[in-house]
Amino acid sequence: MIDYKKIGFKCGIEIHNRLDTKTKLFCNCKPRFSDKKPVLIIKRKLRPVSGELGQVDIAAMYEYLRDRSFLYDCYEEETCLICTDEEPPKEIDEETLEIGIQIAKMLKADIPDEIHIMRKIVIDGSNVCSFQRTAIIGLNGVLKTSLGDIGITNINLEEESAGIVRKDGNEITYRLDRLGIPLIEIGTSPDIKNPDHAKEVAEKLGMIVRSTGKSQRGLGVTRQDVNVSVKGGSRVEIKGVQDLDTLPLVVENEVKRQLELIKNSETPKEETRVAKEDGTTEYTRPLPGGERLYPETDLAPIFIDNNYVNKIKVPETWEEKSKRFIKILPKDMTDQIIKSEYLGLFENFHKKYDPVLVANTFTSIVKDLRRNGINIDFSEEQFDEIFSSVKKKKISKEAIPELLEIMSKEKISLKEALEKSGLESISENELRNLVKKILKEHSDLVETKRFSPLMGLVMKEARGKISGDIVSKVLKEEMK
Amino acid sequence: MLENYSKQIKKILKNIKIGDRISVTRENRIYEGFLMPKTDTGDSDSIVIKLDNGYNISIKYERGVKVEKLKKPSRELSKEGFKALEFDSSKPKVALISTGGTIASKVDYRTGGVYALESSEELLSNIPELKDIVYIKDVSSPLKKMSEDIGHKDWQIIAKEVAKHINNNKGVIITHGTDTMHYTSAALSFMLKDLYKPVVLVGSQRSSDRGSTDSFMNLICAAYVSISDIGEVGICMHGTTDDHFCYFIRGSKARKMHTSRRDAFRSINEIPLARIFPEGKVDILNKNHKKRDDSKEVVADTKFEPKIALLKVYPGSDPEILEMLVKKKYKGFVLEGTGLGHVPTFADKSWIPTIKKIIKDGIPVVIAPQTIYGRINTRVYTNLRILYNEAKAIPSEDMLPETAYVKLGWLLGHTKNIEEVRKLMTTNIAGEISERSTIDSFLV
Repeated sequence: MIDYKKIGFKCGIEIHNRLDTKTKLFCNCKPRFSDKKPVLIIKRKLRPVSGELGQVDIAAMYEYLRDRSFLYDCYEEETCLICTDEEPPKEIDEETLEIGIQIAKMLKADIPDEIHIMRKIVIDGSNVCSFQRTAIIGLNGVLKTSLGDIGITNINLEEESAGIVRKDGNEITYRLDRLGIPLIEIGTSPDIKNPDHAKEVAEKLGMIVRSTGKSQRGLGVTRQDVNVSVKGGSRVEIKGVQDLDTLPLVVENEVKRQLELIKNSETPKEETRVAKEDGTTEYTRPLPGGERLYPETDLAPIFIDNNYVNKIKVPETWEEKSKRFIKILPKDMTDQIIKSEYLGLFENFHKKYDPVLVANTFTSIVKDLRRNGINIDFSEEQFDEIFSSVKKKKISKEAIPELLEIMSKEKISLKEALEKSGLESISENELRNLVKKILKEHSDLVETKRFSPLMGLVMKEARGKISGDIVSKVLKEEMK
Repeated sequence: MLENYSKQIKKILKNIKIGDRISVTRENRIYEGFLMPKTDTGDSDSIVIKLDNGYNISIKYERGVKVEKLKKPSRELSKEGFKALEFDSSKPKVALISTGGTIASKVDYRTGGVYALESSEELLSNIPELKDIVYIKDVSSPLKKMSEDIGHKDWQIIAKEVAKHINNNKGVIITHGTDTMHYTSAALSFMLKDLYKPVVLVGSQRSSDRGSTDSFMNLICAAYVSISDIGEVGICMHGTTDDHFCYFIRGSKARKMHTSRRDAFRSINEIPLARIFPEGKVDILNKNHKKRDDSKEVVADTKFEPKIALLKVYPGSDPEILEMLVKKKYKGFVLEGTGLGHVPTFADKSWIPTIKKIIKDGIPVVIAPQTIYGRINTRVYTNLRILYNEAKAIPSEDMLPETAYVKLGWLLGHTKNIEEVRKLMTTNIAGEISERSTIDSFLV
């Protein structure tokens, strides 16, 4: 066991979370991934501009960029002239700003009287205009945790970068649907006490973002960067931890790595590392110096009026939510749904449909499918259709996992999945006829009262179409 | 430096300079950072500081807020230096004339302000490619204006500056704001007599403070045009949204067709003269252009009558405006007519009587197409025959309204004889009128 206090453990975390808004942060494009083909591919070059890179050698940067070309996939509804750097940005999305202020209020942060949109230089091509727009909307906040208060240094609103598609020698292709999706970034002071505490902090910050009901869902929506150092070691930033469960392991591994180096009389270097799935990390580059930020001259500072801040309501805290859910859900399910990315959907569905069924679908079923490599990326409407079909007894709840799997794998609608799988539910009467037919065919088993094999034979035909309890009941009745 | 801050802030910051490290205390919260200048937007009562993480925030000054200068060293706010590009005198010699505009501005990375470049050399220093293409020795900056502020006097200054340099250079590059670049290019097309060398106007739609700027590629392509065999005034800007090639468009046939795209400049009613790749290839697209002849001497003929107006007719438009301007001693008009070159004829407010009277009084009225593309026709409808045969309006052929406006001013600078103006207005002087309407010239 490592005594984290004794080794001078220092750890802070930064979470990035994509927001589910009506438009992108600085244009009116849809903030989502396109499932269509690009309608246009544009080709651009980037150049170093005098002064922007500070200590970096301009000549070297010029050489680096000279031979590089960037291709950008443009999508009909998710890319516009602002995304392609052909039009100045529109003013910051009001909805995102409100979400940001909600979160700042929840974290008891100071909100500046004027918010300044800044440009952060990015020259890997992932931002078409060579900078990312970002703004501090809160600072000096606090997060309450089981091991005391954690300082919140900054709450930022910023643009998501373009996603890389492929790298082909010196030609790099990005897709512009992701570019400009609103991101919230929350950074903490190095107040985290131990690796498990890191997980708690990340989890709580995630819950705060999700409690606004405006977090996107799915893989890669939330990313954690974690800073770790020990006495005699150096600050190391580990980027891109996507899975909260591996976060403590990542932190612990980094601590061990630094301790090991120190033991061998080496000094760990300040550097950036990237997290791998198994919880180990890999060196990427030296830790960059202070980020080069300058004001976005295309946008005026946003004056934040006290009245405006006061009018923005803070969403229910998770303690309050928990009290509400415990009345309709078992305790463990309450805990799970509150931490779930599906919290928003649960809120929308639990009054219309059986809350246990909805919560179970969003927690254990979706989680099991994901564990098996099936990515569940359905819209609210698709889930609504599934739950309403259960309610109307068109499908049995037992069929949900298989139907979700088919819909996801084959990218088809519920109706098509039902046709394909034959999982449409059957009535008790239809079941009784099926049971009678099977009993007739297997009279030998009936005579010897072999219930289990008979149950197996019936279930083979009826699985997913009707509840197993009913099958058992009907079979018993018919065997009498 | 404290400009744009309110009076009370200026008073509080009396002994504090931009770039000093300060602390602002409000309700037990302390914000520490560097004092930043205030732009002309935003709340003048809020103090802008740059935090140590690089971000700017503002704290509103109110009762109880304390501002203190800290002892720590202040942030360096001196100008960034640059190393002038060293040219190779064995390369073809080309002159550069800078007139201002986005292409000649930059961001100060510490304050975020956009400033005009101190010198054209600073712009050139960012483009080492140029030294492998041209030898730029004659650099002048007769103007520093955004192009919306440029007028006929500036055209005269630029024309004279070109004439001064072009005879001992292979060509001239002019950096210019884009908004009215096509007016300047039209003016130079008429004002530069006996021009048989390239005069290349170039600008940028995305400022050079970002890595994605179009200015560098535009300038590199402009350098290639300036040493090419095309002996005309033209505009060299991005041909597409890609950083692929530039078009060189004849100065009298170019028009800015988009507010912000980098490929905003299009060739109207003819195909562009050439396609230029930043790697140096020059593809001639339109053979109908003057060829280089270095033996010719260029003279600037800059006489111009500024008291003219470019107007547009539209449904419900009232010809009274013409009468008012005539009373104000206006000497000529270009009207953007609808379709083939109509004005309201039998409408409640017919323009015909007014136009007829003005022309009878010796003031030329030219009709140019508000459709931008296509040619004026004087015959196919009764209403056209009334306008051109009875009222004697002057058709601009397939000339752009902006070019017609510049040409009219230039002609009236030389003669007030309406019949002479009529004759010259409908005669091609600088490529402004195409002999044939070619089938490949629409929306290119």
